[in-house]
Amino acid sequence: MAASMAVASCWVLRGCRDQRLLLGWGRRLCSGGGRAAADARTHFGFQTVSEEEKGEKVYQVFENVAKKYDIMNDSMSLGIHRIWKDIFLHQMNPCPGTQLLDVAGGTGDIAFRFLNYVRSQREHQVRQQLRTHQNLSWQEITKLYQEEEHKSLGGSHVVVCDINKEMLKVGKQKSQCLGYSEGLSWVLGNAEELPFNNDSFDVYTIAFGIRNVTHIDHALQEAYRVLKPGGRFLCLEFSHVNNSLVSSLYDLYSFQVIPVLGEVIAGDWKAYQYLVESIRCFLTQEELKELMEDVGFLKVEYRNLGSGIVAIHSGFKL
Amino acid sequence: MAAAASLRRAGWGLLRCQAVIRRQLYPAQRALHAATVWRRVLDEPKQQPPQYSAQQPSDSQPGGEQHDQEPPYSRPSYTDQGGEESEGYESEEQLQLRILTASLEFVPTHGWTVDAIAEGAKSLGLSVAAAGLFQNDGSELVLHFVSHCNSQLSELLEEQHKLVQLGQAEKKKTDQFLKDAVEARLRMLIPYIEKWPQAISVLLLPHNIPASLNLLMSMVDDMWHYAGDQSTDFNWYTRRAVLAGIYNTTELVMLQDTSPDFENTWAFLENRVADAMNMGHTAKQVQATGAALVQGLMGAAVTIKNLTGLSQRR
Repeated sequence: MAASMAVASCWVLRGCRDQRLLLGWGRRLCSGGGRAAADARTHFGFQTVSEEEKGEKVYQVFENVAKKYDIMNDSMSLGIHRIWKDIFLHQMNPCPGTQLLDVAGGTGDIAFRFLNYVRSQREHQVRQQLRTHQNLSWQEITKLYQEEEHKSLGGSHVVVCDINKEMLKVGKQKSQCLGYSEGLSWVLGNAEELPFNNDSFDVYTIAFGIRNVTHIDHALQEAYRVLKPGGRFLCLEFSHVNNSLVSSLYDLYSFQVIPVLGEVIAGDWKAYQYLVESIRCFLTQEELKELMEDVGFLKVEYRNLGSGIVAIHSGFKL
Repeated sequence: MAAAASLRRAGWGLLRCQAVIRRQLYPAQRALHAATVWRRVLDEPKQQPPQYSAQQPSDSQPGGEQHDQEPPYSRPSYTDQGGEESEGYESEEQLQLRILTASLEFVPTHGWTVDAIAEGAKSLGLSVAAAGLFQNDGSELVLHFVSHCNSQLSELLEEQHKLVQLGQAEKKKTDQFLKDAVEARLRMLIPYIEKWPQAISVLLLPHNIPASLNLLMSMVDDMWHYAGDQSTDFNWYTRRAVLAGIYNTTELVMLQDTSPDFENTWAFLENRVADAMNMGHTAKQVQATGAALVQGLMGAAVTIKNLTGLSQRR
């Protein structure tokens, strides 16, 4: 069975003519082998593997691509992933003082954006304050600015948690290069067993990560556990395209172009083959929404970007 | 003043559209009597109160007119304030209302913003991220405040009405009643007056206009209801439009007012209410004059006809 699927993915890999048919087949295989996994089988791309194996394989994929991860993101999405992440942050709209846990946030894209966002929000607040107290003496003003120096984030903190050491390493290097030191920490941890106390974060984000988690429901339960009451769960993930025209172009692009780019830039065809396959095997928008509601999140909503190429799911622990 | 007048006119137009949609009870008669409307705008309630005070306020009124205390088509999340925490279980909406109510305390410092909501959530022991439950522009907060004030006003008027019915207070004249009601409602804005311009701009955002108009309508409706209005004809619209105009213009005056305890505003309000009353009288006089004039002209025409011998039969 596994062998036949490997063959199937080889065909796809070569870009054979009846790709659509194969895609349909691949999807069916995913749902057959993956989601109904009462026995400990799950999917890794279009392959069916045991659950431990999936974890290892995912680890290897990201270990291999960690160094080229950011360049690959830019070249594959033509830079659009930056816009998606900005929209994601805008939706989060964190106020100064927010405690963020960014799971699977290896290279810190979300974390750095968060810090920038909070800093600008804080500046805005301080400016507003100054405007309301217009008759300040210069001592008071200098005091205010000094305070602001110390608390430019207003007590916000972001914890980046990733299961992959290599990704964390790249992220740390990046943070040093870009000069982010304050309000940022890096933790090695599994999304299914987070090394944090209950009720300790305001926002939990997972951007392009939940797809790679073996037990999505466990990850969601953990998210629910570590969030404070009133806290928010936000997930940015590739999803299912609902427009047939966009869908055909998107399939063509992802199966014909992305693995090639992966080979050329990162020197790893398989990793990017996995990427596109795992997107096809991931839950649809509605399925993920239901799963979130089952775990206990309230006011669960999702928003499609690029007619469903990616989707932002949001839910609250109330 | 020109601006105020144009605003009033615009407000009237909008209100009328909405009112037409809301109440389909009226047959084509509303197209009639355009000239006599103004006469009857304001002088009818003065004659009616005696009949009205004999009735129960909550009962349905005759003539198919149904003034609900609650606006009939309001959005439930903003106006359904009843039934809060009736059971141990609290629904999502109730929690949201609770957060918004708690946030009002922080409006004077943070404005009608997400920051105020975040502070409100914090004061309830929730995470600041709960502010994400609401839109970024703070419209829910403003709308909640307006509906909150409206229900407060309606309670107040209800109480006064009860006192009148029990004979413990004297029945006010319509103009005095309206002036007091508008003043009571505007006084609720005083704690937030510094930030109120921001709230007005939020209320006028295109996506908030239906909700804010609805709230304005329900407020004006309440005032007229307790003032004893029972009209079932076109007056129903004009009365509400005029009162909404008075309320909005006075609100604008209030924003600019620096006099102690907003004295100028209340003086302005009194004058506008008096104007509205006069407008009714003037309309009546104009109509009477018009009728006399027409009669005179008719008479003159007949006389001329007779003089020229056109009416003679040969």
